Amino acid sequence: MLNRKKSWFVIVSIILSAALMLAGCGKSKSESSNSPSAENSPASSGQASEKASDSPKKDVTITYTIWDQLQQPAMEAIGKEFTAQYPNIKVKVEVIPWNDYWTKMSAAAPAGTLPDVFWMHSGQFTKFVSGNFLEPITDRVSTGKIDLNNYEANLGSIYTLNGQNYALPKDFDTIGLAYNKELFDNAGIPYPDDTWDYAKLAEVAKKLSQPDKGIYGFAAKMDTQTGYWNDMLANGGHIVTDDMSKSGYDEQASIEALKARYQLILDKASPTHQQMTDTDATEMFKSGKVAMIFEGDWRTNDIDGSDNITGKWNWAPLPKGKVKRGNIINGLGNAMSAAGKHKEEAGLFLEFLGSKRAAEITAEMGAAIPAFKDTQGAWVKSKPHLNLQVFIDQASEAVPYPAGMKSYPVWFPKEGEIMSQAWGGAISIEEGAKKVANMMNQAIADNK
Amino acid sequence: MDMNSRSKYAWAYIMIAPTLIGTLVFWGSPAIYSLYLGFMKSENFGLINHWVGLDNYHKLFRDEEFWRNLRNTLYYVVLVVPLTLVFSTFFAVLMNTRIKGASVYRVIFFLPQVTMPAAVALVWIVLFAQDFGLLNYFLGTHIAWISDPRFAMYALVLVGVWGGIGFNMLLILAGLQNIPRTLYEAGELEGAVGFRKFRHITLPLLTPTLFFTTVILMIGATQIFDSIYLIIGKTNVALPSVRSLVYAYYQNAFVYYDQNYGAVMVNILLLINLILTGFQFMLQKKWVFYE
Repeated sequence: MLNRKKSWFVIVSIILSAALMLAGCGKSKSESSNSPSAENSPASSGQASEKASDSPKKDVTITYTIWDQLQQPAMEAIGKEFTAQYPNIKVKVEVIPWNDYWTKMSAAAPAGTLPDVFWMHSGQFTKFVSGNFLEPITDRVSTGKIDLNNYEANLGSIYTLNGQNYALPKDFDTIGLAYNKELFDNAGIPYPDDTWDYAKLAEVAKKLSQPDKGIYGFAAKMDTQTGYWNDMLANGGHIVTDDMSKSGYDEQASIEALKARYQLILDKASPTHQQMTDTDATEMFKSGKVAMIFEGDWRTNDIDGSDNITGKWNWAPLPKGKVKRGNIINGLGNAMSAAGKHKEEAGLFLEFLGSKRAAEITAEMGAAIPAFKDTQGAWVKSKPHLNLQVFIDQASEAVPYPAGMKSYPVWFPKEGEIMSQAWGGAISIEEGAKKVANMMNQAIADNK
Repeated sequence: MDMNSRSKYAWAYIMIAPTLIGTLVFWGSPAIYSLYLGFMKSENFGLINHWVGLDNYHKLFRDEEFWRNLRNTLYYVVLVVPLTLVFSTFFAVLMNTRIKGASVYRVIFFLPQVTMPAAVALVWIVLFAQDFGLLNYFLGTHIAWISDPRFAMYALVLVGVWGGIGFNMLLILAGLQNIPRTLYEAGELEGAVGFRKFRHITLPLLTPTLFFTTVILMIGATQIFDSIYLIIGKTNVALPSVRSLVYAYYQNAFVYYDQNYGAVMVNILLLINLILTGFQFMLQKKWVFYE
């Protein structure tokens, strides 16, 4: 017994001392790697600004942080091509998954450790701009180094606040109507096309539904960007007013659109909100339980990769509404940190990311729909069996994602909570819409 | 104090230092910082803080949602704590008898404790599903367990009790094994059998363990968050019927970026836990039996 205790003590002390030694090692290593760059960085930045072109420049590595691992190869390819032009600047692409991305960025911002260049989302950027954590690129725009007219459909304006530009459009996404060809064929109904309006959608959804078999014509999901925002716009309503001073949820046209969508659930042409809480609506579509669904182009690979549905589905444009064809266009941006150590080099990389060449690489590798004009063709060809062209065609009439306001991060999550009460039947649709409007107006007033 | 005992103390402190430092850094300082944030209005990722006094508390007490969340939290505690206690004791007593394969059962009961909460939640979501869920299949019902406001709380209680039995059973089992066998032998001579043995020997001698278990369980239950986050989810119509204080704290502090309003919620929760635990220590004189 005593012996055993002794040996335990020995083992524990060995582990402890090993841990201490390792901790010591780690510290000395990081110190030794940090010190030269800390000493040299003022010198290198001075050098860069004084002697712009001639004289060999110091080697610099800048960090480019993204959240989509699927796009990493394309982003690395862009980095390589950039290094070929500027041999002294290396680009390290770092992936932080979406779920942790904003938590980490929100911690890095006040600590002054944001990456040199990183992906920005329209819903988050006002928060970072109001803290002065993003480097304005207005000078680069006004001096003509960057031309915002190169990008599709006002994408350049997404990352503008108070007359300053903060990010360059990288790619864009729009919404389409995905449909299950097999379910249409079985019912002998022609596929959706660009002549469809919302009345036709509702009519066909009812025809295709077989609630006793658990098959529904349409997923009238409670969702914003890939849901009723498109309906509201098509019906002549608004998400927020054009000057972003007031919510559009309580406009009659918006309420009407919301009610029409909810009606499909009441008519048993769509699964209930409860069912769609249990099983994600797009998963239902993938397993052939739903004939039609609104989705974003970014789900293309995900849906097409499902064995159940591959070869049996396609994309169509969204239906037309009373006023127009509604659609939401959103775009990622590339932004740079205001506290970066190598802003000079980061700025050069940012310009390259906004160039036509970078867009071509993005498209050819099928990473995303590039924002640069006339480079989308390669993306459309990346899946020839699907009608990806609908996403490009709808971009010109689409409305930008309504995030360019300080109150967005506050009202957006609350919107979902209120609307889920309405979609779940706890309150009426009209009551929900009015509650959302009040909440949004309050949030807008609080975050002026 | 002679040299020997002084060095004994020094060693004792060195030994508890990792835990002590960890507790101070990871529990103590955030708690104090939350108290501080409760009196502030923070801007810009918390880099700027203005003193606003009790404003956040005034807002909280006028917030209907807060009272509802508080009621949900207490309701959950009232359901989960006694149920977990009864089932844990029941299974611990069974485990304490010499049945074949007792250690296998111990492992089975303890498994929920060592399984990832996200994995557990996924399995429960499948079990609870309205259309293809096993629970509805066996009961012959068609209930939306996790998205019907009338049932969601009971679904969470079921998950909570199921997840809590393993750990608490072990605590109680340890308590049971401390009860000297001679007492049972003496009891048998006096004619005590079956349930009377449990009622008059086991239960009184188990009360110190049960007291400790109750305190721990109660503090744990007031902090319910992960099963709401993982099983209920944010677009569930049943969310207002089950939202706990900690879930509301998470929403306010990390989703709406209002750390101050979130901080006052957890400060109130801290106060509630202090009061509840204080009460239990006062009441223990009435029912806890120390040898």
